[in-house]
Amino acid sequence: MGKYLLRRILQVIPVVLGTTLLVYALVFALPGDPVKAMFGDKPVNEAVAAQIRAEYNLDKPFIVQYLLFLRNALTLDFGNTFAGQPVIDEIARAFPVTIKLALMAFVFEAIFGVVFGIISGFKKGKWYDTVILIVSLLLISVPTFVTGFLGQYLLGVKWSILPVTAGNNPGFIDLLLPAMVLGSVSMAYIIRLTRAEISSNIAEDYVRTARAKGMSNRSVMLRHVLRNSLIPVVTYLGQDIAALMGGAMISETIFNIHGVGWLTYQSILKGEGNLVVSIVTLLMLIFVVCNLIVDMLYAVLDPRIRYA
Amino acid sequence: MWADAWRSLRKNPLFIISGILIIFIVVVALFPGLFTKQDPNYCTLDNSLGDPTAQHPFGFDFQGCDVYTRVVYGTRTSLMVGLASTILVVIIGTLIGSVAGFFGGWVDAVLSRLNDIFLALPILLGAIVVLQMFKTNGSIWKIVLVIALFGWVSTARIARGAVMEAKNLEFNTASTALGSTPVRNLFRHILPNSMAPIIVIGTTSLASYIVLEATLSFLGVGLPSSTVSWGGDISNAQTSLMTNPMVLFYPSAALAITVLSFIMLGDAVKDALDPKSRTA
Repeated sequence: MGKYLLRRILQVIPVVLGTTLLVYALVFALPGDPVKAMFGDKPVNEAVAAQIRAEYNLDKPFIVQYLLFLRNALTLDFGNTFAGQPVIDEIARAFPVTIKLALMAFVFEAIFGVVFGIISGFKKGKWYDTVILIVSLLLISVPTFVTGFLGQYLLGVKWSILPVTAGNNPGFIDLLLPAMVLGSVSMAYIIRLTRAEISSNIAEDYVRTARAKGMSNRSVMLRHVLRNSLIPVVTYLGQDIAALMGGAMISETIFNIHGVGWLTYQSILKGEGNLVVSIVTLLMLIFVVCNLIVDMLYAVLDPRIRYA
Repeated sequence: MWADAWRSLRKNPLFIISGILIIFIVVVALFPGLFTKQDPNYCTLDNSLGDPTAQHPFGFDFQGCDVYTRVVYGTRTSLMVGLASTILVVIIGTLIGSVAGFFGGWVDAVLSRLNDIFLALPILLGAIVVLQMFKTNGSIWKIVLVIALFGWVSTARIARGAVMEAKNLEFNTASTALGSTPVRNLFRHILPNSMAPIIVIGTTSLASYIVLEATLSFLGVGLPSSTVSWGGDISNAQTSLMTNPMVLFYPSAALAITVLSFIMLGDAVKDALDPKSRTA
């Protein structure tokens, strides 16, 4: 186990370096001048531009810029935004909001996804199985931003059950609808995954063996089928935590939640390269760490993986 | 395998429904003129948010454009982006994945780490960054290229797995014993036997690329406003959501039906090509 863990962590290092380099290259090395973009429609003042370039290391060769960024990032110093705010402050303000939102979405999709998936999987062919399947297909086909508008219009405007937008410092009620919107697609995938796993496991030989041993149907389903069916679901859920944080952009934009997704989108539009690179680096680290944890869990659950 | 798959496909109601819908969508995309006589770009503010009439069954949007006509003409945009991105992604992904799976060793190690790097970057985020950089002269092809740049990862993974599996099968050894070269083996035997999972992921990806294009257009970094697209129209309809939700509803419904058709097709194809997952 220790060896497997070490190997996985060593594999992560080039990925982290590679992804930060990729993001950094996308933001800073592509044609398009972030400094020029700051001036907007106004004529560019060369002296000011040069000063800004020096401050953000934009006058140095690309690879030097990148290494300087890495060195500073290790000490959590991500530099300043163009408006002079430390990037780390902006991030520190946005992250708690998104973590709250993502956790709520996660709980929502985990509970409803697994429960409906189990109902659907064990009661295949019943009318409610069909209803659950159709609803989950619809949720997958309708883009998140449409689901968001629909929820906003129906629950927020027409029936006035939930707040329409969240704004600054949102509470539990404010985030309820955005979290459901954010988690809806994953919930639908979890329903489908759980259902498919259960129905394929029911047909396995070990189920027949367990029945032949005289085990009651209830124990067979709970102890054998359900347990085996939930392993891939747990994996999916684990990887989804990071995906939810990264995917919050749409629901945060629609509901005006000032979290990471909203901040990323705004900073991309404004050409705040520093902010974009910093946030994406952090998100990517979360993604990699989540994956690592899922792999560890998986290796504990399934010994075959450890020795492969 | 293919004849067997086709036989089970033909009997699958999912395939029949999605097939009919997709044929209809393709016809609309190819010949929008058959379904409407109006010009999608003819908009007068006199008609702003006008109610539906016999000639304009879906009413008018905020700019006074005929919603029905714009929904019809938007079909081509979505379908083109989806199809072109999928073709490009399948070509790039299969190439990279099969090279990694076939040669193994350090080639595989390098390509797999490259794969991990792109996998850690969410496709939406990457696409927005790149599109924001190349903001000038937006066209459909720019979006297709960006989607392909970030989309090849999952196809490459699956192609790699499939090639590695097919590589160790007996027919491959037999063909080598008969004097066939490794490259000939790859193209004549291994790739054709690895196509099933690649086709399955291609169909599902097509649906997700249509959604991605609409999302990018919705966020304002996708297609320019001069191109008629569902995503752009949904984004514009946002302003009148509180008073005229139907303006937002129609392009959303068209988008959802299209995506749903391809997802159902993907499910049906998966059932046919992968007997293990076949639902009894």
